[in-house]
Amino acid sequence: MTVALKSWKALGTSVHVLATDAGALGRATTAVSEVLEDVDTAYSRFRQDSELSRLNANPGRVVRVSPLLATAIDAAQRAARLTDGAVDPTIGQAIRVAGYDDDFSRVAAQGGPVTLRTWRVPGWKAIGFDRRSRVVFLPDGVELDLGSTGKALAADLAARAALNAAGAGGVLVSLGGDIATAGTPPPGGWRIHVAEDSRARPDAEGEVICLTSGGVATSSTTVRRWTRGTAVLHHIIDPETGLPTTGPFRTVTVAAATCLDANIASTAAIVRGETAIDWLMRRNLPARLVENDGTIHYIGRWPDPSGVAA
Amino acid sequence: MNALTPIQRDRGLQRLRRLTFGATAGALVAVVGVGYVAAASYAGKTSSSSTALSTTPSTTTTTNSSSTSSSNGLQAPTQAPTTGSSGSGTVTSGGS
Repeated sequence: MTVALKSWKALGTSVHVLATDAGALGRATTAVSEVLEDVDTAYSRFRQDSELSRLNANPGRVVRVSPLLATAIDAAQRAARLTDGAVDPTIGQAIRVAGYDDDFSRVAAQGGPVTLRTWRVPGWKAIGFDRRSRVVFLPDGVELDLGSTGKALAADLAARAALNAAGAGGVLVSLGGDIATAGTPPPGGWRIHVAEDSRARPDAEGEVICLTSGGVATSSTTVRRWTRGTAVLHHIIDPETGLPTTGPFRTVTVAAATCLDANIASTAAIVRGETAIDWLMRRNLPARLVENDGTIHYIGRWPDPSGVAA
Repeated sequence: MNALTPIQRDRGLQRLRRLTFGATAGALVAVVGVGYVAAASYAGKTSSSSTALSTTPSTTTTTNSSSTSSSNGLQAPTQAPTTGSSGSGTVTSGGS
């Protein structure tokens, strides 16, 4: 069975939608586009008129937010809770000060030195949030960045919407390498090329896995990098230091029941560093970790790559 | 009407004191009892608005309890991924 594919750019990254029913691809892509527009309006950090930007610009005030932003904040708080704060939405100021203060296509690859200081970010418990009433209160100095969990959540929401629009069959949505599936997969499962950079061609040399449900996410310090002075910086912030992580793993890919859970785990693994393997194994999450020197670790039920050559 | 003797008057006053004490004690028990029942019946109601705006860890409890579906741990896939080979319909998962 061949699957139909449509690709375009949104949210500052690449979007791929696959459908097992070629006749439903149009409806599926329309549904995905609508979800991504809603996401951009609700929680883009780079749009001055987004709900999240307005929330960040009004600390010390009680704000009632839309259901979508409330869902994204809820997801981010859950991520922080389940990772003991390794994936924390209050890194907004830290990542902005580090230089990632605009859509990445507009962030200068190189620039003058910046002054970075080590400080623990305020932490997710500083956020006043009631899920039921959708009321949020950010104290002074607390700035949210939902980028880590937000994209994966968007992939899950988009896949669900695409399946509803398609009516039957199966769909896959990839947002910059964060992959969510819904419905019945093609025979043998969805084929996913695992790489360090989501821009790598799917037919490039590397490992391919097949997934029948759930999601896959990859976090990597090798992409979205920039230089300030002599310091090479990247977008994964350690909440303990407020600085880009410096752990032993440069890329982590995780498979989970949802793209969101996969993303939470892959990001947490990068941040946790030395303790990541044990942390992933205790959660029974299949994962692939690449050390800074290129050494690869396969965790849990992640397929043995020697099976490809066999 | 006959005048009371001093002994009769003292007995009357003692009876009155016992009645006053009994009524006060009864009222106190009633207040505590009704308050307890009210507190049990409306548990949490008075704190909901202030908790929503709180920045203390108690906020966390409120958020957790109001979204039980999201309080589960990270979920592994129902079926583990298997090895595959590249072909049409392959997408890339990587950092972005």
